Amino acid sequence: MIKRLFDWLKQPLGLIAVGIAVLALFSAGVYGIYTTQQPPEQPIQFPHQTHVAFGIQCLYCHPGAARGPAAGIPTQAKCWGCHNQIQKTMTSELLKPLKEAVISGTPIEWVPVAQVPDFVQFNHRAHIAAGQNCENCHGDMSRVTIAQNPQVFNMGWCLTCHTKIAGEDQAKLIKLSDCGTCHY
Amino acid sequence: MSDKFSRRDFLKLAGVGAATTAILTGCGPASRYVKREPYMLMPEYNYNGQSTYYATTCRECAAGCGLVVRTSQGRAIKTEGNANNPLNLGKTCARGQATLHGLYNPDRVTDPIKRTRGAAAGTTVAWDDAIQTVADALKNNKPEEIAFLMGTTSDHLFDLLTDLSAQAGINAPVRFGALSMFEARATLSKAAENLFGEAGMPFFDVGGAQVVISFGANFLETWLSPVPYTRGFAGLREGQTKKRGTFIQFEARMSSTAAKADEWLPIRPGTEALVALAIGRLASELRGGPLPRVFAEVDTAAAADAAGVKLTALEHIAEIFAASAGVLAIPGGSALGQSNGLAVAEAVLALNAVADNFGKAGGVFFSGLAPSQTEYQRPASAMEMQDFIQNMTDGKYKVLFVHGVNPVFELPASSGFKAALKGVEQVISFASFPDETALEADFVFPDHHALESWGYQRVVTGSAQPVLSGSQPVVSPFYNTRATVDVLIAAAQLAGGKFAEAMPFKDEVEFLRSKVAPLMSEADGFFSAADLNTFMAYFQQYGGWWKTTDGRTAPNAADVFNRELDASEAEFAGEGEFFFVPFVSPTLAEAGANKPWLQELPDPTTTVMWNTWVEINPETAHELGLEDDDVVKIISEAGELEVPVYRYPAIRPDTIAMPFGQGHTAYGQYAAGRGSNPADLLGQHFNEAGDLAFAGMKVKIEKTGKKQPLSRMESIMGVYGVGLGEEH
Repeated sequence: MIKRLFDWLKQPLGLIAVGIAVLALFSAGVYGIYTTQQPPEQPIQFPHQTHVAFGIQCLYCHPGAARGPAAGIPTQAKCWGCHNQIQKTMTSELLKPLKEAVISGTPIEWVPVAQVPDFVQFNHRAHIAAGQNCENCHGDMSRVTIAQNPQVFNMGWCLTCHTKIAGEDQAKLIKLSDCGTCHY
Repeated sequence: MSDKFSRRDFLKLAGVGAATTAILTGCGPASRYVKREPYMLMPEYNYNGQSTYYATTCRECAAGCGLVVRTSQGRAIKTEGNANNPLNLGKTCARGQATLHGLYNPDRVTDPIKRTRGAAAGTTVAWDDAIQTVADALKNNKPEEIAFLMGTTSDHLFDLLTDLSAQAGINAPVRFGALSMFEARATLSKAAENLFGEAGMPFFDVGGAQVVISFGANFLETWLSPVPYTRGFAGLREGQTKKRGTFIQFEARMSSTAAKADEWLPIRPGTEALVALAIGRLASELRGGPLPRVFAEVDTAAAADAAGVKLTALEHIAEIFAASAGVLAIPGGSALGQSNGLAVAEAVLALNAVADNFGKAGGVFFSGLAPSQTEYQRPASAMEMQDFIQNMTDGKYKVLFVHGVNPVFELPASSGFKAALKGVEQVISFASFPDETALEADFVFPDHHALESWGYQRVVTGSAQPVLSGSQPVVSPFYNTRATVDVLIAAAQLAGGKFAEAMPFKDEVEFLRSKVAPLMSEADGFFSAADLNTFMAYFQQYGGWWKTTDGRTAPNAADVFNRELDASEAEFAGEGEFFFVPFVSPTLAEAGANKPWLQELPDPTTTVMWNTWVEINPETAHELGLEDDDVVKIISEAGELEVPVYRYPAIRPDTIAMPFGQGHTAYGQYAAGRGSNPADLLGQHFNEAGDLAFAGMKVKIEKTGKKQPLSRMESIMGVYGVGLGEEH
C-alpha cells in the first residue's frame, strides 16, 4: 500500500501534489507560530513610552520587583493618583476605560505578557538585588506602547546570562546553574 | 478518496498536521496568557506581589483546627495548619486542605432566594426582604413554635442562639451532625458517666501509651479529632524515648486505621463487649490478685468462640496487656453503633482500669472544658433527633431554621426527616450550597463561606490545653451572602420586644467581642492584654486563645471494677445473611462530596475515587458468583440500593461494608447523582445511650447482572488472575 503511494507520488502529478501539501503544511506551521507570538488584547492601550518619558521609574508602578517574586500590576488607585490631576484623562477616548473602571469600581483585567511556565520559580527580587536593570530582560520600555516581550523566556536564555555573570567564579556558577535554583 | 490514497492514510496525514500545529501553538507564550485583576485599592498592609497570611479556623468538621491561609491580592491561595494552635500544631487533614474548593465552588448559593420546596430554582430576593422574613418568623410565631437546627461547627452562632433562647423563650438550638452519629459521641459520654459518675468527652492519650488496643475506633480517619490523634499515633510509633509502641485493632473490616495496626483481629460484629471482658479477665488473671467483679462473669472460651477467633489469640493479647506498662484501650466507631454499644463502651473503658492508666500519661482522661464553656455539651443523638422530627411531624414547630447541617442527607432516610418537613409551615435554610435540605426549604439565606466568616469554635477534645479557635475573614465575601449572625441580629432588632433586648449588638463582630472579652480576666492565657482592642488584635493574629496549662482531668475510677455489665451479644435488625458495616469515608465525610480534590483523592484502602462501592470478601464474592464492578442490590429492612462490588480481602466473609459520603441527590455538580448513600439502608434502632445502631443491621445481596466500572488508582493486573490469561 505504502509502496503504491510512493510510486504515485513520483509521477508529475504526484510531485505537484507533494509540493502543494508541503507548502500547505509549512504555511500552517508558520501561521501557528505567528499566532503564538501575538501580544494579547489589553483592556487599555497602555503607552509605556509616554510614562517612561515623563521620568516615572519602573519600580513606582511595579514595586513588587524589589520586594518579592512578582513585580505586580499597579492598582487603579495608583493610576488615578496622577491621572485625576490630568485634564486630558476626562476627555481622552483612550483613557476612557480607566475613567470608567475607577468610577464604577470594577477591576481592570490586564494580561501580563512576561510569563514563565508554572514549573519555573522566578523571583524578581534576587535579580534586582544583583544589580540587573529591568530593561535587561524586558527591553527598552521607552520605545514600546503596550508591553511586549522582547525575549523568549526559555531556559537557554536564562542560563546564557547566568553563566556569563558567573564568569570564572566556580562557586557562583554552581549556584547559578543548579536545577534547584529555579525548579523547586 | 482514490483507491491509491486511502481514507486511513488521509487521516494519518491530517493527524500529523494537527499534532504539529497543536505542538507549535501549545508551546508559545499565548498558551500561558491569563487575565489578572489587581486590587482596585491596595490595602495599607499589603504590597504588590506579596502574600498576606491570616489565622482562622477550619469548619470542615467540628474539631476546630487552626488554619493559616495564604492570600495574594485578596484571594485565598493555600490553607495550612496554624502552628501556634495547640490542637493541630500546624497540620491539617485532607478536608482542611480542600476547604478552598468550598470557597471557590461554582455551585455556591450566591444570593438570598425564595423558593418552592423541591423545585430546582428559586427567585432572588433582597437582603432587606430576607431580614424582614426572618423578623416576621420570629415575631409572628409563639416562641415555642420556633426551632433552630444547627450543625456542629460555628460555636459563636450556637452561643447567640442559646442567648436568644434563654431571653426570648424560643426553643434551645439543637445540634446534629452525621460525623457525631457515626462517632457515637452520646455513647462515649454516657459510658463515661456510668463508670466515672461524670459526663464528659474522654481523652485518650495515644501518644504517651505503649500499647493501644482499639475496638472499632477509626481515630486515624475521622473519629473525634483526627489531626491530633494522628500526631498521637506518630508519638506511639516514634519511640524517641521508648521502644516502638504496639497497636492492636478489633474491627470486622480493615479500615485505614486498622491497616496501620500491628495486629488486626476481625472479630464477629456484636461480640466486642464479650471480647473486651475476656481480655480483661485473662489479663487480670495474668497480673494476679483478686479477679475484678466486672470481668468475673465472662466465659473466655465461649467469648472467643462467639467472636470467631481462637482463644490463644485473646490470650496472646492478654499477655501483651499484662506485660506492658502504659496500655490504653479505646472504644469507638462501629463497635458502639450497635444495640449493645453502651456495654461495649463500658467494657472497653473498664479495660483501662486493669492497666490503671486513668489520669496518667498514655491513659484515659476527661477532655478539659474549652475556654468560656461551663459544662460538656454534646450534639443530639439520633434518638433525640427522633423526638425533634416527631415535633416537626406533629406541627409543634411553625418555623424551622437550619444552619450548617444537611439532615435530609445526613440522617437515615428511615428517620423521616424529609417527610416531617411538611409539618413545618416555614423552613429557612442558611446553607452556602444548594444541598438536599436547602432544596426542601422555603427560603435560602446563604451564610458566608468559613474563610469569609467571623466566629470561634470550642475545641472539645484532642488538645491537653483548653482551646478556643478563632475565625476571621481571610478574603472579602465573593457573593451577595451575609453572615447568619448578622441576619439574626438585624431580624431580632426588627422584631422588637424581647428579641431586640436579647440582641443589643451592632453586628457580628460586636457580638463576638462581647463573648471573647471575659477571657481577658482569665488566668494562664497564652496571651493577655489590658484593653479589648489589643486583646482582639492578638486573638485574630494568633487564631484564637488558649491556656498554657493542662485542662484535662482524671476520671474517678473507684467503682469501675465493681460494675456489672451485661455482655450479651448485640442484636441485629433485618433478615439478611450479612452484617452491614457503614463507615465514614475518611476523605469525603458528610460534606466533602462537592469538592473535586476530595473526590479525586483515592480512598486509603481501596483507592476508589468518585464513587461508592461495597466491600465483599473475595471468597464470599466467589460463592455468590460476583466479580469486581458487578452491581449488586443490597436489601435491608429499611430500604435497598444498588452499588458496584469491590472484592476486599481484608473483611470478614460474613460482613459487607460501604463508605458514607456519596449518594447526594443535590449539593452541586460534583456531588449530585454520584454513588449511593448507605444511610438509606439504616433502620431506626438505637443503643441504650440513644445513638443510632448503624452497624446493627443484617442485609441481603442480590445480583443485578449490571456492571459499573469503578475508577481506582491501584492496578488490578494480576489480582485474582486478572489480565494473566486463561491458565491462571
